[in-house]
Amino acid sequence: MCYVTRTSALEYEDIEVGKARLIERGEQIGDISLKARKTIAMLGQDFIRDGSTILTHGFSRVVLSILKLAAANKKHFSVVCTEGRPDSTGLQMAKEMVAIGVPITLIIDSAVAYTMESVDMLLVGADGVVESGGIINMIGTYQAAMVARSMNKPVYVAAESYKFARMYPLDQKAMFPSSRQVDFHYPLPSAVQVEFSSRDYTPPQYLTLLFTDLGVFTPSAVSDELIQLYL
Amino acid sequence: MDSRRGSRFVIDPKIRQVGFVPAGCESENPNASSAVAAIANVDVNPTSDSPSPVMIPPRLADPLPRAAPLPVPSPPPRKHTSVEIPLQGSYNPTDSVLGTSPPFSPASNGRYAGVPSSEGPDLSPSFVSRASSAMEGMSLREDHLGSPSASRFATVGEYAMFKQQQPQQPATAVTKVYASSLPQEPVQSFAPVGKEDSSKPLKERTTKAERRAKQEADREAKRIAKESAGAKVVEGEARASSNVVGKASRAQSQKKDSASEKRLSAVEKASEKEKKKEIPAPRMQFDDQSRVAKAKKRALIEQTETKHRVELFRHLPQFVYGAQLPSLEAKFFHDDAMHPHPAVYQVGLQYLTGDITGGNARCIAMLSAFKELIKDYCTPRERTLIRDLTARVNNNVSFLTTCRPLCISMGNAIRFLKTRIAKLQLTLSESDAKSLIIAEIDRFMQEKINYADNEITKLAVTKIKDGDVILTYGSSCVVETIILHAFSLGKKFRVVIVDSRPKLEGKGLLRRLLGRGISCTYSHINAVTYIIQEVNKVFLGASSILSNGTVYSRVGSASVAMVANAFHVPVMICCETYKFHERVQLDSICFNELGDPDALVKIPGRKGLSELEGWSQSSHLKLLNLMYDVMPADYVSMIITELGMVPPTSVPVILREYRKDPILENFATFGKDSNPIKFFRASLEYYRAC
Repeated sequence: MCYVTRTSALEYEDIEVGKARLIERGEQIGDISLKARKTIAMLGQDFIRDGSTILTHGFSRVVLSILKLAAANKKHFSVVCTEGRPDSTGLQMAKEMVAIGVPITLIIDSAVAYTMESVDMLLVGADGVVESGGIINMIGTYQAAMVARSMNKPVYVAAESYKFARMYPLDQKAMFPSSRQVDFHYPLPSAVQVEFSSRDYTPPQYLTLLFTDLGVFTPSAVSDELIQLYL
Repeated sequence: MDSRRGSRFVIDPKIRQVGFVPAGCESENPNASSAVAAIANVDVNPTSDSPSPVMIPPRLADPLPRAAPLPVPSPPPRKHTSVEIPLQGSYNPTDSVLGTSPPFSPASNGRYAGVPSSEGPDLSPSFVSRASSAMEGMSLREDHLGSPSASRFATVGEYAMFKQQQPQQPATAVTKVYASSLPQEPVQSFAPVGKEDSSKPLKERTTKAERRAKQEADREAKRIAKESAGAKVVEGEARASSNVVGKASRAQSQKKDSASEKRLSAVEKASEKEKKKEIPAPRMQFDDQSRVAKAKKRALIEQTETKHRVELFRHLPQFVYGAQLPSLEAKFFHDDAMHPHPAVYQVGLQYLTGDITGGNARCIAMLSAFKELIKDYCTPRERTLIRDLTARVNNNVSFLTTCRPLCISMGNAIRFLKTRIAKLQLTLSESDAKSLIIAEIDRFMQEKINYADNEITKLAVTKIKDGDVILTYGSSCVVETIILHAFSLGKKFRVVIVDSRPKLEGKGLLRRLLGRGISCTYSHINAVTYIIQEVNKVFLGASSILSNGTVYSRVGSASVAMVANAFHVPVMICCETYKFHERVQLDSICFNELGDPDALVKIPGRKGLSELEGWSQSSHLKLLNLMYDVMPADYVSMIITELGMVPPTSVPVILREYRKDPILENFATFGKDSNPIKFFRASLEYYRAC
């Protein structure tokens, strides 16, 4: 997601003032993000109970802040993290978990269904939250959410409110394509087509709750917030 | 609700009665014992949670008391008991109450009058009052803890209101049972603090809202009676007018308003306003004979009801098609306040013949006719413009209703118009007021219909991609615009039109699309499960969208949406926000429109097929031609409105946000360009406030 703000600073003739203003705005945005994460951490860590196992997909700073706060509050929980190919961001998450002293198990993406019966919840971040209440996140989130739903495990999404967007995708292909090269470590013939998308869309019926800095929402409430914000 | 499906004996799951038992055959022991038990129960815990259950005395003084007081009548082996089985938790009070013997009806004290022991000949009122208390008792008892859950029919009035909707026949059969079962003296534990004497059955048939208004009116009337003579007259007027005004907001009963308004004094206005702010008045239910008779008396046009009406839909009006034309013609040249304006008359005829169909078209035609009406309007002497113009509008609306029942969007438009008229400043001159109202109507049509359609089209074409196969049902003007616009943008897609009898509206759409060169497939609704397999997307129109996301649209759309949902095809409903309504509807039965049954008989192009000719002679055959049906929110993927694409759960949000503020309502436009800035400004404000 990207920020777009308007500032009257650019009307000033003095370039230095304009520059300073822009820097100030940038810092403000950074502060907003930080504050948002703090609020979300506070709200989200209530849902982590002693003895629970949390499955997470890839790396998300918001999820990390929730887990850090829960650990700081002396809660005993363990984390299962997927590798998150092609980014392999799950490895970064594993490192962070070790740093805060939480037991961490790393699994390959294909093992999500296999481990789902032994976890208590799925907790993911989001790149974007759309009007229907669904989320756009790293590829693999959709299948993890689907497996969790079919096994009646709650799916929690941690996202700041500036990620809400007035998009309404009907299917996976409806979004702007974003791709990431995949390295298969194998010499493939050129005739083989490779699917490069790095993001997928999870429809709202697979999500249980969203933790945002505006509060804890059900997926239907996202549209409510959007309508109010865009009044 | 169950009673709509025909009267049958509904039995509580705990106590099952199999087989039919003729009335009058009863087994006394279980009932009596439970009766005693029930009384014993009351004695045992007289100070249970308020209101304490009060027993109706047993049918017979039973010499054999049971040992343990049973809070719930247990099911002893019953061979014959039929209608006397106590029914708990059954929400079919008529049947259950008819079947309930008196002992099983603890009633909250004060809810009904004393045991009607003395009323031999006049049994129905006692029956009604006991019935209500029986019912309350049942719901109270349901809890098993004595704590009072809110009875389904908390007041006598509500129950009676419900009861009206059911066929009255069983009452007479079972009252005989009651006659024998009436006790000779009231039970001590029972406290008859009744407020209404059961000897006035007609009073108890009014709704809660109406009764409250009546009380207000009565109080005022008493006050007036002290001042002027004719207290009875005023009271009668008050009751009649408040009864009438209570339904004023409903389109079907607007015809009464004109007559009653003249009779309203300022006194009754206050009570009427207060009542209007409460629960919306119930719609006119056409299976209540007294109300129908009353409405007929005040009706402008005579209409004859169809014979052989389907039982399930008795609460909806159905008149013989076209029978009102002769009386209409006779009255056409009368030029007074009571009769419709020629432009409105023309529009009404167009509705009647089916020349104008579809929510938007009907609404626009009606509003244009009203513009003519207002242009030609002159305030009569000694009348205020606001009151008189509202009365005129009401008359015209009632005329349109007789031609064809209003659709929900038209209702909203009329509400808008009447609000605007009511808000006119009194200081305005007549010509200024008229031009203001005309400008408002123009603005409404422009913003809510034309502009909204443009926005919806712009949003919807973003969802159409090359290679798509789009399915639509019937003929919706918005969907047609979307398809034509997408085609003009050069997108490559094809359209499947699903159609159904008797209206066959899809044929017109097919012709228009083919004329533009769009490749179309035409199919009947019977084949929708077959054709859906090749379809990507479904676009449907709607007559209205209700508060719980339910879509009220042409009959058949619900089936199409259900099939699409089963095949995981997204269903998109294109609807302007002025069609949204706060109502909630769970099924297609409680509110619908009944079309002309003869339309089902005639099959165009097959003159030889006359199987159904003379159907009205047979009393066994009834034809049902429903116009609308209801699609639950689960089948809808998204709703495209001029405010954007929203999930069906957001309909009440839109109603809340855009209706409460009149300024917002006026200028509810949506500009995509300004969004991110507004959004972040709002966020910044939020964070600053943190």
